[in-house]
Amino acid sequence: MPIRSNSKGRGAGIAVVLVALLLAAGCTSGAGGQAPASTAGPPAPAGPLEVELVTTAKVPPGGPSARRAAQQAAPGLQRFLDRYLTAAYVDAAGGEAGWDGLLGLFDTPVRASARKQLDALSLGAAATEVSAVRPGRASARAVVLYGGKRPEAATVRLAFDGTADTAQGSGRVHLRSALQLLATGEGWRIAAFDSRTGPPK
Amino acid sequence: MTRNGPAGRWSVPPPPEGARDPRGDGPARRRALAWVAAIGLVAALAAGLVVVVSPRQRASAQDAPALTVQKAHAGSAAPALKGRIVLLTVGSDSGAPKFGRGGAVERGRADALQLVIVDPAKRRGSVLSFPRDSYVPIPGHGTSKINAAMAFGGPRLLVATFERLTGLTIDYYAVTSFDGLTDIVNKVGGVQVDVDMNLRDHFAGAFLDKGRQRLNGAQALAYARARKTLPGGDFDRSRHQGQLLLGGLGTFQRQVAEDPAKVMTWLGVLRDEVKTDLPFPELLRLALVANEIPPSSIRNVPVPSVAGSAGGASVVHLQPGAYALFARIRAGKLS
Repeated sequence: MPIRSNSKGRGAGIAVVLVALLLAAGCTSGAGGQAPASTAGPPAPAGPLEVELVTTAKVPPGGPSARRAAQQAAPGLQRFLDRYLTAAYVDAAGGEAGWDGLLGLFDTPVRASARKQLDALSLGAAATEVSAVRPGRASARAVVLYGGKRPEAATVRLAFDGTADTAQGSGRVHLRSALQLLATGEGWRIAAFDSRTGPPK
Repeated sequence: MTRNGPAGRWSVPPPPEGARDPRGDGPARRRALAWVAAIGLVAALAAGLVVVVSPRQRASAQDAPALTVQKAHAGSAAPALKGRIVLLTVGSDSGAPKFGRGGAVERGRADALQLVIVDPAKRRGSVLSFPRDSYVPIPGHGTSKINAAMAFGGPRLLVATFERLTGLTIDYYAVTSFDGLTDIVNKVGGVQVDVDMNLRDHFAGAFLDKGRQRLNGAQALAYARARKTLPGGDFDRSRHQGQLLLGGLGTFQRQVAEDPAKVMTWLGVLRDEVKTDLPFPELLRLALVANEIPPSSIRNVPVPSVAGSAGGASVVHLQPGAYALFARIRAGKLS
């Protein structure tokens, strides 16, 4: 049975701060401004990154129930996907953070290929032109393979939409990926990927 | 193991099940609209203005892309494994309760024997199929049929026998039973195989017409076992076993191309039905590499051999061409 999860608790707190910031902005700059997503003015603060994750599990005979296994695996997967999108988009804006944080999420045998294909995995070369990325909808569907009582691998289909602010204005950014993940002693790592970015078709 | 282009290796991920289109009217959408309305109202009050803006108009303004920030890019990659990988795959005649053959799968006689040699960097490989009655030296047990090696000393002795015979280092082994093979094939929905002859073999229960077709578990097992009515006997059977392996690879690739999560399905089935010394991380990486190698780039080579006898028993003697084949593979010449 699929298990759905997200990080709304954290998001609610950030939303309160966002309202306060918007109020402050409204009081000081008047009502004549354009919508933040399409202006060239100061970038809006990044919103909460909430990955809506649906998890299912394949368990061995004698292992935990599929539902329990999915519940156990979901938080770790969600943290991993949060880290991925944060490194690929939110922290990448400005191009100063570099890509080591993102590339560290890849299994060693595929890391060199990932480094060559950052444009298909993240903000990529556009990062230097972007001052901020405001996350929009992020959703994922994961199938986790259990070996014994622990997850060993997973396939994740990840979709992310956001808004990027540049000096010329704002525009959307998109990511659609299929990731093959390997569970390691250091957490999940991407063992293979098929990914695309850019404007939607 | 890198590919770039407009179309990726796998299908583009669809929206998750249950997830709604952001323009839809689901709970998430209603919550978002509520937030937008609330924020707009508070901001308007703070500014001392009365602004009437419908949620739909506001959403449309925000949705309008003003700028293309990033051009379209697509890419994919599988693990870049270094060096040649040699895997011994074994079909055991034990550990198959459905066939009334009990015992441990690793202690049975090896009825199907394939050496799978993969060059990940060059995306090519070979499947060497050995007749089970090949008469060869078995370390510590004189000379005997190769299929007895596993019964004498388990997979380790079988690996040692192959290493002495071929001069190749066997990296891993994988053993399954009759039941295991039928279950694997059935659980993945059948495998597509190019059956290369009409088969009417009552002994193995193989009744198949020549041509490409999807075999279920029972048919796959029968195709792998049929020997007595085949013109080439053991030689034809070995070739058919290699065809099954390649058919399985092609089926795996087609399924994964449609649904990347099928990798987990196949690994789960193999986990349940195969005994192997492959550590799981290597199994996953190897599966991901295998997904990149076209079956047409893998040669199915029955090892040159001829029927004979030894001590009154029917055996198969490897021909000089077999040893020349091993030498070419040791030298890195797979094709």
